[in-house]
Amino acid sequence: MKLYKKDGNIVQILSFPNETVEKGDYLIIEDSSLGKALIVQTIDVQFADVPGILEELLRSLPDGGELIQGEDFDPLEIAPHITYIQDARLLRCKIRATIDNASLSPSSSWLPSRAQSIIKKLPIPTLLKLAKIDGKLPIVLGNTKESSPLTIDASFLDGKLNIITGKKETGKSHLSKLLMVNLIHYGATVVVFDLNGEYVSLGMTSDGKRNTYSNKIHVLTPSQNFKVALKQLHLHVLLNILIHALHLPGTSAREFRRIWRSLKERDILNLHELGEVIRNWSCNNFVRDALFSRYYTLLNSGFFTDNIAEAMILEESLFKAKKEGGVIVINLRNTSSIDRQIVVEYLLGNLVELLRSWKLKAVFLFAEEAHLYLRETYWDDIVTRMRHLGIFTTFVTNQPNTIHENIYRQADNIFLLNFTNEHDLEAVSRAARVDAETVKSIAKDLPPRHCLVLGKVVKDFPIVVKVRALDIKTMGETRLFFKDMN
Amino acid sequence: MHITQIGLPPTPLVPRTEETAVAAVDTSSITIGETCKGIVIAVRGASIRKQKRRYRYLRVGPFIFHITEENKKEVYNALQRAHFISSHEHNHNGSPSLLQMPTRVASLLERWLQTVLSKTTSNGLVLFDGSLTSGIADTSTQRMKETLNNARKRGNVVLAFSKMTNLRFNGYLITDALRGYKPPCILEIAGLKPRPPVVLLGDVYLVKLTKGNYAFRLDIDKEIYEEQKIEAVEKLLGNDLFSQSYPETLRLAHIFCTFTANEVIAMQHFIARKYDLKIINRPNMHRLLFGPFGKGEHYS
Repeated sequence: MKLYKKDGNIVQILSFPNETVEKGDYLIIEDSSLGKALIVQTIDVQFADVPGILEELLRSLPDGGELIQGEDFDPLEIAPHITYIQDARLLRCKIRATIDNASLSPSSSWLPSRAQSIIKKLPIPTLLKLAKIDGKLPIVLGNTKESSPLTIDASFLDGKLNIITGKKETGKSHLSKLLMVNLIHYGATVVVFDLNGEYVSLGMTSDGKRNTYSNKIHVLTPSQNFKVALKQLHLHVLLNILIHALHLPGTSAREFRRIWRSLKERDILNLHELGEVIRNWSCNNFVRDALFSRYYTLLNSGFFTDNIAEAMILEESLFKAKKEGGVIVINLRNTSSIDRQIVVEYLLGNLVELLRSWKLKAVFLFAEEAHLYLRETYWDDIVTRMRHLGIFTTFVTNQPNTIHENIYRQADNIFLLNFTNEHDLEAVSRAARVDAETVKSIAKDLPPRHCLVLGKVVKDFPIVVKVRALDIKTMGETRLFFKDMN
Repeated sequence: MHITQIGLPPTPLVPRTEETAVAAVDTSSITIGETCKGIVIAVRGASIRKQKRRYRYLRVGPFIFHITEENKKEVYNALQRAHFISSHEHNHNGSPSLLQMPTRVASLLERWLQTVLSKTTSNGLVLFDGSLTSGIADTSTQRMKETLNNARKRGNVVLAFSKMTNLRFNGYLITDALRGYKPPCILEIAGLKPRPPVVLLGDVYLVKLTKGNYAFRLDIDKEIYEEQKIEAVEKLLGNDLFSQSYPETLRLAHIFCTFTANEVIAMQHFIARKYDLKIINRPNMHRLLFGPFGKGEHYS
């Protein structure tokens, strides 16, 4: 390989057919005279722009049809040299770091010698060693292309904002599950908004038996085993539900506040009394109607109860998870859009309260297709206020443009699975921790179950990994009409 | 040469589709580098046969030669002896100059390929690139006669197409004489009197075979009957494809032997590896001396 050009932080390397370099591979450009080396990553492999190549190809297809058959008498055996030149490749590589005195720095301000530099492939295990990507709390994500394991440190997910994205059926949920089970292995509390009921079997093996995590998986299905009593609620949590999920106008919200205080003072906070007080409350009829319509929505959701015993499961699960680690799966599978928003508002409000009062230390929140239940103002809240309180969110989506731009800018880690659509890649490439070219070039060619890991967990060295298998019952399978038909 | 007569109007041609083999040959040469003692050249030849609606090629080379002032005579004579062992005539005029060597070595290869094609094709049409003029530096009359004889013995007709000609009639290029006439047609250019030692071994015609503005000089072996000559051109029309009045078989022969830039790089790579040569760029003196005003050729 020979260094050909450098333009900004892109270097172009000429490679010959006997040197197999693929997209995503790391190379090291050593300049022994300067005692430095550049670590670069191949982001694209192109044919070298060899002059005369078009003529050569046209020559073999003069009629635009079949190849002309014939014989070559080539006594000096020049043909292999022609093929060698024809197949020369140009590697477009992104500079990732400089090695100077055995230490890594992100600098790309120097230029290695074009004539003297030696370019070699940098094996991923060597890169991991150089970049010190291992850690005290290892999570084995899977294997790299060279079949070496890629281990990340769970502490680099701690306090961080993560995104898992990729098109349908590329393994997003699988990767989420892998991260979850590893986080609970280290005693973390995980909450997942499970839109399709994919995580409810996290505690079961593929053949339906209980696995080692089964005691740590708590599946809460709203209005079934997950209910809330008004007495448990803080007024501002309920107001958030009424204003943001049920769009209660400001005037009506003020009246509701008075009604709530009146009930609380009399210690009769229950659904029946709430209905009665709204009915008899002295206020404008429009306000009363507005309050009544919201009251019935709450009532019909089945999520609210007056039975305190029924309404303790969330706290119980959270405190259990706090002790020994666990996943609280909020199963939103058969929940309507409005009810989903009610549940999410309640849960986030409640989590904030528990964290603020230090009843919980921190929570890893996995939010699948968050745009379907997260209100507008929460996006900023999640990356600022909630993160400081201890809610560390991982967004999981197959529609990357539904995640707000500031989430990408603030994301610490991105787990990118295959995307072919330019618009999707454009959305992901807004992430601050990676350049658009890397995302667009490498993610397009990722096979299923392969993930491009970007961000702090890999010390900003994008690495492609084949996500390892998990012995967990799959629930995310799409129902098929033709399945099992002969 | 001087033209005394042009047989206007041209004779219309009717394509004859009876299966006839068409074969063509062409060669090319290139200087791939300079050494302190001489030049490194490469030559390659290609012959194309069209039979049963299919083209097949035979490509020979590239042959690479390091030619110096000291070895040029030896190289040239050795090639002559090797290629024309049965020939009665040898070139006693000495070897060409160093600059002429690429084209002269290519000519030797072309003559040899023409001989081979004439001997291996039967009852077909053998197409040459150029004219049937002999007696000039790289084409001896004797050798050309031998080639034509060989072709005739096997029932072949040799047709030589010239891409360029300097022949003029009344001050106009002869290729303009067919402007306005409906193709396909042929026009005999009679009364050509070459100056010795140049000999014309063919009768000279002008042909316009397809629509468009292009007409070519066509030399047809003198020793065959007049009607056979016209029949040969009609058979060519019925058995080959044409692009701008030029036969596809001959076009392919040219395409297959021409060196592309990639091949030049590959040959430089080969000789650098094989003989441990270091390739350096020769400075461009025009650029060096005149800067942006130096518009001279690039040397490499």
